[in-house]
Amino acid sequence: MEDTLETTEEKKPEAGAEDKEDVRILAFLCNWCSYAGADLAGVSRLQYPPNVVDIRVMCTGTISPYFILKAFQEGIDGVLIAGCHIGDCHYGKGNYMTAKRFRVIKDLLVGMGIDPRRLRLEWVSAAEGQKFQEVITSFTEQVKAAGKSPLAKAKVKK
Amino acid sequence: MKDELVKALKEALESGKASAAIMLTEKDGELMPRIITDAGDPALDSIYTGDRRYPMASFAMMLVPVIEGNLALPVRECDRRMLVELKKHNQVDTDRLVLLGIPCSQEVADACGCDHPFTANGISVAPATAKPAVPSPPPESVSEDPDKRLAFWMDAFSRCIKCMGCRNVCPMCFCNDCALDNLDYVSVESKPPDIPIFHLIRAVDMADRCVDCGMCEAICPAEIPLRQLYRQARNVVKEAYGYEPGISEEKSPIEMLGDPTELAGLS
Repeated sequence: MEDTLETTEEKKPEAGAEDKEDVRILAFLCNWCSYAGADLAGVSRLQYPPNVVDIRVMCTGTISPYFILKAFQEGIDGVLIAGCHIGDCHYGKGNYMTAKRFRVIKDLLVGMGIDPRRLRLEWVSAAEGQKFQEVITSFTEQVKAAGKSPLAKAKVKK
Repeated sequence: MKDELVKALKEALESGKASAAIMLTEKDGELMPRIITDAGDPALDSIYTGDRRYPMASFAMMLVPVIEGNLALPVRECDRRMLVELKKHNQVDTDRLVLLGIPCSQEVADACGCDHPFTANGISVAPATAKPAVPSPPPESVSEDPDKRLAFWMDAFSRCIKCMGCRNVCPMCFCNDCALDNLDYVSVESKPPDIPIFHLIRAVDMADRCVDCGMCEAICPAEIPLRQLYRQARNVVKEAYGYEPGISEEKSPIEMLGDPTELAGLS
């Protein structure tokens, strides 16, 4: 058991190797729609780039702007937030909240000089495995075009 | 102005409208607050009525819950806007405040680059009449090139010595559990602190709270252009939702659950 733990820990830094194409993307997925959509993409065997790390949250409305700041602070190259379609929120209005906050955090970060291509908000329902694949593919290309995050260098320097 | 303020404070205490009052005194070149409960207090003679500012709204937050009766508080226009915001966040009971408006002279208003110089009630001694020129932002911070903007801000943030002055002076920073003390966001051992998250956490919070008093920038020993940072954050909210902290009557749009009608214009 201990051996397997050690090997996974050793492999982690290698995954974020020097390759410029190798961007890291953090995806916050809502439990009720987008995570199920990702599940559907999986069981449907749809292919999409492996650069995405998923974080399941109960609702996109619970995503604090601090989470997004923290992701960029840790050197993540792009942040995707995916939730239920407007009107379909499991909790009623959680995704309205997300939409409002997302605009503020995005405009603020763009004003600071962060590339707008690094942030994206999408609505993916549980039935849209196909759309999940398309979103991940296009977002990964978008982030690759933007390149490695300039904040990642600051992190390494420290 | 000094006589008028003393008279107004005495009157508030004598008439029973307020049971306590705050006044500023100057000692060794530093301003300090003092609580007065008696209209005959000789300390009133040493009241400070100069141009320097002090975050008076903080005292309202601290004292109103612990005193009996009302609190008389001399306020400038920026203090008044802070109290409006604090009331929206249920931090202070403004019904228990007796506000004594202090006008800002033209010199103070110019030095602050104030958006809203005082024109309202209270003690009226030569208030500012001409609208002061708002200082133009540093050219790099509004540069067309995102790399230049980022370099400008990272350079400014890297000067930070983590004195926490911007947080401590700001009456709008009232959270009991501060994200800047949260080790999940900001590590405790690094100086300069983790940039840019250390400053952006406050910028995000200030987006719908900052009343643009400028005390954070005045107090910053590293001369980080914090006011410009929070102005940019405020502008985002203003452009997106037409909400201006301290001036708009309603609560902040990004702290409330959304209504379907408010989604118009979202990308």
